[in-house]
Amino acid sequence: MKFRKALSTMMALTVIGAMTLTGCTGAATSDAASYPKGALEFIAPSGAGGGWDLTIRTVAKVLKDTDLVSVPMPVTNNAGSGGGVNLAYMQTQKGSEKLISVYSPPILLIELNGSSEYGYENTTPLARLITDYGAFAVPKDSEYKSITEVMEALKKDPKSVKIGGNSAAGSMDHIQFLIVAKAAGVENLKEIDYISFQDGTATAQILGGHIDLLTTGLGDIQALVESGDLNALAVTASERVGEGVLAEIPTVKEQGIDVVFENWRGLFGAPEMPEHAIEFWQDTLAKMVETEEWKTEAAKHGWAEAYLGQEDFTEFLKKTNEDYKVILEEIGLLVNN
Amino acid sequence: MEILQFLFDGLLIAMQPINLLLVTFGGILGTIVGMLPGLGPATGVAVLLPLTFSMSPTGALITMAGVYYGAMFGGSRSSILINTPGDGAALAATFDGYPMAMNGKAESALAISAIASFIGGLISVVFLIVLATPVARFALKFGPAEYFLLMVAALSMTSSMSKGNMLKGFIATMIGLAIATVGIDAQSGISRFTFNILELQSGIDFLVVIIGLYAIGEVFKAYSEINNGKKIQQKKFGKIWITKDEWKRSWPSILRSTPLGFIVGALPGAGGTMASLMAYNNEKQLSKTPENFGKGEIIGLAAPEAANNAASVGALIPMLTLGIPGSGTTAVMMGALLMLGIQPGPLLFTQHPDVAWGLIASMIIGSFILAIVNIPMAGILVRVLSIPPKILYPLVLGLAFVGTYAISNSVIDFYIMIMFGLLGYFMNIAKIPTAPMILAVIVGGTMEQSFRQATKISNGSLEIFWGSPLAISLIAITIIFVGFPMIKKSLSKLFPPKKAVETA
Repeated sequence: MKFRKALSTMMALTVIGAMTLTGCTGAATSDAASYPKGALEFIAPSGAGGGWDLTIRTVAKVLKDTDLVSVPMPVTNNAGSGGGVNLAYMQTQKGSEKLISVYSPPILLIELNGSSEYGYENTTPLARLITDYGAFAVPKDSEYKSITEVMEALKKDPKSVKIGGNSAAGSMDHIQFLIVAKAAGVENLKEIDYISFQDGTATAQILGGHIDLLTTGLGDIQALVESGDLNALAVTASERVGEGVLAEIPTVKEQGIDVVFENWRGLFGAPEMPEHAIEFWQDTLAKMVETEEWKTEAAKHGWAEAYLGQEDFTEFLKKTNEDYKVILEEIGLLVNN
Repeated sequence: MEILQFLFDGLLIAMQPINLLLVTFGGILGTIVGMLPGLGPATGVAVLLPLTFSMSPTGALITMAGVYYGAMFGGSRSSILINTPGDGAALAATFDGYPMAMNGKAESALAISAIASFIGGLISVVFLIVLATPVARFALKFGPAEYFLLMVAALSMTSSMSKGNMLKGFIATMIGLAIATVGIDAQSGISRFTFNILELQSGIDFLVVIIGLYAIGEVFKAYSEINNGKKIQQKKFGKIWITKDEWKRSWPSILRSTPLGFIVGALPGAGGTMASLMAYNNEKQLSKTPENFGKGEIIGLAAPEAANNAASVGALIPMLTLGIPGSGTTAVMMGALLMLGIQPGPLLFTQHPDVAWGLIASMIIGSFILAIVNIPMAGILVRVLSIPPKILYPLVLGLAFVGTYAISNSVIDFYIMIMFGLLGYFMNIAKIPTAPMILAVIVGGTMEQSFRQATKISNGSLEIFWGSPLAISLIAITIIFVGFPMIKKSLSKLFPPKKAVETA
């Protein structure tokens, strides 16, 4: 009996030992070495066809075309609440190594203005990839010929220029204008009328002359500036961007307003993403932005390359968050401090 | 003549076998997607999006446009057969389409809806070719004040949809307007009636309301009647076609509704739902026998069907000429074009004539293909009416859930849908009309936002609402809408019909 007991104990120990050796360590190495395994989950937190959707689909396409990632990368749209629905979903996927989502300034704004209880701290920032810039446009026959004229008018009477954009009050189009206005020395930011339109119809409103100034993304007005229907007063980049007509648009800096607003876009993993997955994406994304394929796509969409690795990106998010906080506080829309 | 040359070149592009195949594929896919409740053209186009990346820009646009107007053909199928609109634009098709099917005239209903869609679509393409630029310029005249007045005009039509009882119509309208206020208010950035439910921040999608009120409501109703044997199953089916008399009565209304639908469709943000409802209302006002509307009047089906196809063509105008999406579906199409490196805008026709004219030509060809495909397809679909309720309604229920989930992949929408299903059932018992409520949900949000946009622009002054000739015309139209039935009544009292006078 004793012998049998000892034997079974020994056997049990061997089995456990073997399991620990092969199982645990084996799993760890194979996880890291074979990552990614199986389909990934790429998410655009908006409907199909928007800027976020375009960005993540382009990333998936380039990764596939360059063979940097060989597993399937299906893109799903998890729209709602300006990206807030997807942020909440990401909380349910804590520790996932498969989930990659794209965000831009709204990930900060929706938390600050209270529409989302989660923010960038509740994700794993992976990398900043590109940046777009904001632009301010007026109808071709407008009395305003430069952004400084607009700011002077606002200083005299904050109600004199009606600003329109395509996002809700307290979100991107609104904030990018206020950041420039603040830098230009306009004081009563809260008094400035910002009029929000849906489905991109603010562009129709500026063409019809119903609003005085449109604040939007540079890409959204490119075609209308080329055709001469709109006059772009300024772009929020640090230096002129693009070529042709776009390069003729002066920056706000050139006109004496020392500020830059970037509509950056970056990739974010689920909260508590495993270390090996983070490392993989650090490496892969750094390689991706150097490929010809990526550069061609970026040029096609008018994106400026703005790669930042994980650490720098997280630092950048922290700083930008503080900047936005100041503006939102000033217009009384800061909810989550 | 230059236009004809471009059109001819476009036709050559559209007639390429691959593009013919794509437009047929897109059209059939659109018809099927359009039929399923909740899955509208926007979903159909979005599903195609990844596929289009490997296509040429022209091929991609042709396929997506095929889906778009295919959905306009398909949307009314379920309106007619199971009283459940496939999407908002097919709502008006339930008013007389379903009663027609119940009167044993499903074949005529399906045929007229395909014919009206075909004619409406085809004429609108001609309008698009000739009038794109002036119509786009006209649409730009609509500022927030004009949009507000347009929405008021649309809401005033509820008086004609209320089937007699104005008070009940108003109750339904008020419920609808209340629902439209849910979500983040874009002007102030503040959440309203969201009860801390994240999904409610984007508001309640009118499609969820439609599916709830119609599909689920219909299921509840059928369930309560299932053992009374009230529901008649049609056993014999005739040819899918219309009689000469039906055609004689329908064509003038098709021709009237097409330009109306085209112009309303071209207004960014207005769309097919409004276009079809306005056309319906218009025809009812003009009719000598308005009491027949809602009981299976063929004109009441032909008019909105022509209008919503015309609207879907019109909706391409802001996208093609200005680069402004203006509707969910065109927004996705624009996204796909951007992805392919094409920037829609005023220069599209000069920079990429092959894309623009290829699309236009394919819409002409697509209209024919869809008409040809749809008539035999209707012959199969009409047999839905022979399915016993005990099988049909569980299917409808399943489709309703699938369709609702497809709208925004949200489980919360299920609860909302069921709530509206119950509401629809009780509204039915209380004989409160549901159409005014849906219309209010659809236009309520824009109406409120437009009002506040306008008053922000005018620094609080209300004068902006009669500050332009267009605004004044819209006010006049509204007064006529509301007042016409009353005027007609009092006129007929003052001047009794001639015959009566003669015999007296």
